[in-house]
Amino acid sequence: MDTVSLTIDGRQITVEKGKTVLQAALENGIHVPYYCYHPGISIDGSCRVCIVKIEKMPKLQTSCSTVCAEGMVIETRTPEVVAARAGVFEFLLVNHPLDCPVCDKGGECPLQDFSYTFGPDQSRMEFPRRVFDGEGVKGDVDFGPTLMLNRQRCILCTRCVRFMRDIDGDAQINIIDRGYGSEIATFQEEGVHSLISGNLMDVCPVGAITTRDYRFKSRPWDNPIAADTICTQCSKGCNTTAWIKAKPEWAKGAQLIRFTPRFNHDVNGYWMCDIGRFEYHWIEGDNRLRQPLEREANLGQQPISWQELTSKLGDRLAAAGTSNPEGVRFLLSAHASHEELFLFRRLTEALLGEPNAVSVSWRYQTKSQPAGSKFIVPPVDAPNVNGARAMGLAPGKVGPVDNDAKADVSALRAAVDAGRVSALYVFDPGPEGSLGDVQWIVDARASGRLPLLIVQGVVLSALARAADFVLPGASYVEKEASYTNDQGTLQGATRVIAPPGEAMEDWQILVNLGVALGVPFTYTSAARVRADIAERYANEPGLAGIATLVFGRPVAARNWLQASNPSERWKWDFMFQDMPPVKGHVDPSAVPMPIGAIPLKEVK
Amino acid sequence: MSFEPLLTKHVREPNSFTLDFYLQHEGYDGLRKALAMKPEEVIDLVKASGLRGRGGAGFPTGMKWQFVDKKSPNPKYIACNADESEPGTFKDHLLMERNPHLLIEGCAIGCYAIGAKIAYIYIRGEFFHVQQVLERAIDEAYARGFLGKNVLGSGFDCDVYVHRGAGAYEAGEETALLESLEGKRAQPRNKPPFPAVVGLYGCPTAVNNVETLANVPIILMKGAEWYSKLGPEKNGGPKLFCISGHVKRPGVYEAPMTVTLGELINERAGGVRDGRTLKAVIPGGSSVPILLPTQLDTQASFDGVQKAGSLLGSAGIIVLDDTTCMVWLAENLLHFYRHESCGKCTPCREGTDWLYKILRKIERGAGQMSDLDLLTSVANNIAGKTLCAFGDAAVTPVLTTLKHFRHEYEAHIKEGHCTLPADWRARQGVATHP
Ligand SMILES: Cc1cc2nc3c(=O)[nH]c(=O)nc-3n(C[C@H](O)[C@H](O)[C@H](O)COP(=O)(O)O)c2cc1C
Ligand code: SF4
Ligand code: SF4
Ligand code: FES
Repeated sequence: MDTVSLTIDGRQITVEKGKTVLQAALENGIHVPYYCYHPGISIDGSCRVCIVKIEKMPKLQTSCSTVCAEGMVIETRTPEVVAARAGVFEFLLVNHPLDCPVCDKGGECPLQDFSYTFGPDQSRMEFPRRVFDGEGVKGDVDFGPTLMLNRQRCILCTRCVRFMRDIDGDAQINIIDRGYGSEIATFQEEGVHSLISGNLMDVCPVGAITTRDYRFKSRPWDNPIAADTICTQCSKGCNTTAWIKAKPEWAKGAQLIRFTPRFNHDVNGYWMCDIGRFEYHWIEGDNRLRQPLEREANLGQQPISWQELTSKLGDRLAAAGTSNPEGVRFLLSAHASHEELFLFRRLTEALLGEPNAVSVSWRYQTKSQPAGSKFIVPPVDAPNVNGARAMGLAPGKVGPVDNDAKADVSALRAAVDAGRVSALYVFDPGPEGSLGDVQWIVDARASGRLPLLIVQGVVLSALARAADFVLPGASYVEKEASYTNDQGTLQGATRVIAPPGEAMEDWQILVNLGVALGVPFTYTSAARVRADIAERYANEPGLAGIATLVFGRPVAARNWLQASNPSERWKWDFMFQDMPPVKGHVDPSAVPMPIGAIPLKEVK
Repeated sequence: MSFEPLLTKHVREPNSFTLDFYLQHEGYDGLRKALAMKPEEVIDLVKASGLRGRGGAGFPTGMKWQFVDKKSPNPKYIACNADESEPGTFKDHLLMERNPHLLIEGCAIGCYAIGAKIAYIYIRGEFFHVQQVLERAIDEAYARGFLGKNVLGSGFDCDVYVHRGAGAYEAGEETALLESLEGKRAQPRNKPPFPAVVGLYGCPTAVNNVETLANVPIILMKGAEWYSKLGPEKNGGPKLFCISGHVKRPGVYEAPMTVTLGELINERAGGVRDGRTLKAVIPGGSSVPILLPTQLDTQASFDGVQKAGSLLGSAGIIVLDDTTCMVWLAENLLHFYRHESCGKCTPCREGTDWLYKILRKIERGAGQMSDLDLLTSVANNIAGKTLCAFGDAAVTPVLTTLKHFRHEYEAHIKEGHCTLPADWRARQGVATHP
């Protein structure tokens, strides 16, 4: 690695060649504010808050657009820089509405936070603030199906413009008019139509772009818990953070309040798609399976205890297996984790000794995205096709899941349609539809061609409604489970919340069922299952390291920035100590104030 | 005066813009001479002539051409800056309208020198008629082999295109101009990289002002030494001065830069109107500091005006007599800058509007004394903190009028109105902006 050495605020610093002064400062914990800079998109140099003094240069320079050179001497805290920076902050706020109490971003807003630290303590502006067309009416507009735009709050950093141009590949946003009249706009106010639009909320450093999904639902201090996890809605496996809203006992509504992307250079960069971000409501939705069900003649599906279900189901399966081992079949979703796939495999081996008993399926759905997009959402709507391959349950070797990786369940379907299957056990822990077409199963059960249907899953889908036994399992945020994504990378999903009602983690369901069927399972945790996988698949590339895989856990949340953007993470820990922390356990008086920060004026 | 105009000698003749007329007056002989030389020799010649850019900054043109990255595998371009929007500036307009072939010849020589095959003339949006004149002249030049494939049988290909902007002052900033040429918003780029390395469509590009390029054929015809001796040291060659405001004969005047501001204003432009006295001179377009009547012996050269505390800029000399309210002047100019800020940088976008509002308030008699410090502070918070030079340009009218005419601001505040003779507005037909 080529490096350059420079001095910032008297400190000798060595950084990789090509880094900007701002990056060098941030990496070394030196506090320089920024708005238009975002590590994931191109540099603009327009907001001007990152100005610093560089020796031998007459004017202050924007650190975000200055590449480090050998021997550079930089000052970020001299009175000249402090005053100039405060001047820029004053400009940023002269037209900002300061409606923080009703702004979604309030409490986790870089404009608030940097202004507190680096801005002047009062504004000298006496003229009315700028409002866009018609006294704030059109300033606040729909911004496509997923977003809202509030132009009054916009600081015109153009991060959103550059995100659409650089990452989405379809430059739908730009500024219209110029100078003082500049405003963010889309063609004919059509708004943003993109599969990755939610990232615009993340890149916007103020509350100008908000998501409809999260709008007015919570304040940051009402989301005290966050957990780093991964998304399992497709084969990419984006790294995310799940946010949990605290609510009083009597309050209705969901706990899961939002998902935000978490930086992973090799998997998702800084971004995630709208499917993963917005389509999680089923997890706590009304259709969620909360207790085991058994179909009773004339009565339909009725609740049943786990104990009763396990023994009845054990009997039925044992009977079917004994009379005709080839008639007992399993259909697993590629939403099944390694632990679950493994247990199914062991179960069928012990029970039937029949490797053809298991088929794995997933939905394949090409997404429409701009040709030049830098963030492609893959067509495979399941996280673990590689896991199924690793355990020999799906054809192919572990490796990149390419664009024509379609599931093939035609053999199973032919057997069912021919009436050769006496019991079908479907495991469907993903969102409804992610298993692909299942109507043929529903039809076969209705016509009697399929005498016994068992569904272990998470939502009361058409398939679950057709089942004789329903086993409520856990969704991907309710269990510690591991998956190997489409690049062959092994990752773990965190148990963020508990499964609802009587629903259970799926490994546990399978162990219980196995025991009822006389399979000698001794696993007492998912970790034990992983340990066994590691032993039995020691040479399988997609499973390497599974025994020592580290899982996240819900922790006291600080801020979405902390979670989503490593270059911004540091600032929550170091920079805003002149403010009492919104949450967390930092004693502000214990940490020194950053030099160069302008202290808050004492209110008397 | 022994000086014979070189750029504008024939502009009053009815057919001065035609190719036939141009050819009767040694037209395209400079290009012929250039094509007989090696490109590096042309650059050396322009360097030796000391030609400095006429667009505002006075940067040596030969050096700019030398910086163009010749080793780049990409095409090279000349982008001729014909956006001329600086208040008080109207020399490029005259050149293009009355002597278009001189510019076209300059473009062709420039292309040859830097290894380009294409010159784009980026013309100000409002210059519709001038564009038509240019297009016609370009057609004539193609028809006679001065442009196109194999120019004058030399093997050198050269195309010239005119691109009309949408009417924005900021499009005159060289990198904003390139963005606009590419079909984007006219907003400046970060430098480095400089256009000479990464310019139009990412290719090495020389951005030259109209008058700058129009000087190039003259250098080829007259030689570098003759050219550099015409005028003071490092300020060689003929210069166009745009004189406007309260003079008897406003207009474009050509002179070597040995001339003084006083000679230009009093002798060439006839001085201020009878019964009036000179109050101030803005020597280089609205963006530069004011000079006072005591400084009329200042040499009207890049270095001379700079020594006097201002800048020659675009040589737009705005003459102000004693009827001018300096507060109103600042308000009027800030109305312009507020409107023309491209809006990219926070200080320029928000600050110019704020300055304008404060000035308007003072001009209307509603100001307070504390507003004067506020004006200074806001102006200083813009200056030097912006991406392009617009920010510095925009605050100059405020700072320079405050420096020299603070008493007029104070009078507005104390008296609640302008203290110039009550009827001055009516006489001048001046209206404040709403
Ligand atoms: C705000 C702004 C406006 C400008 N407008 C013009 C213009 O209208 N015409 C021009 O020739 N140069 C203009 N310039 C200067 C150009 O950036 C550039 O320096 C010039 O075109 C270089 O040509 P020259 O070297 O031939 O002078 C402007 C600069 C700034 C900062
Ligand atoms: S909407 Fe947000 S991201 Fe876009 S320019 Fe405005 S402040 Fe920046
Ligand atoms: S200084 Fe003004 S005109 Fe220049 S880039 Fe910034 S906002 Fe645009
Ligand atoms: S972060 Fe450097 S100018 Fe905006």
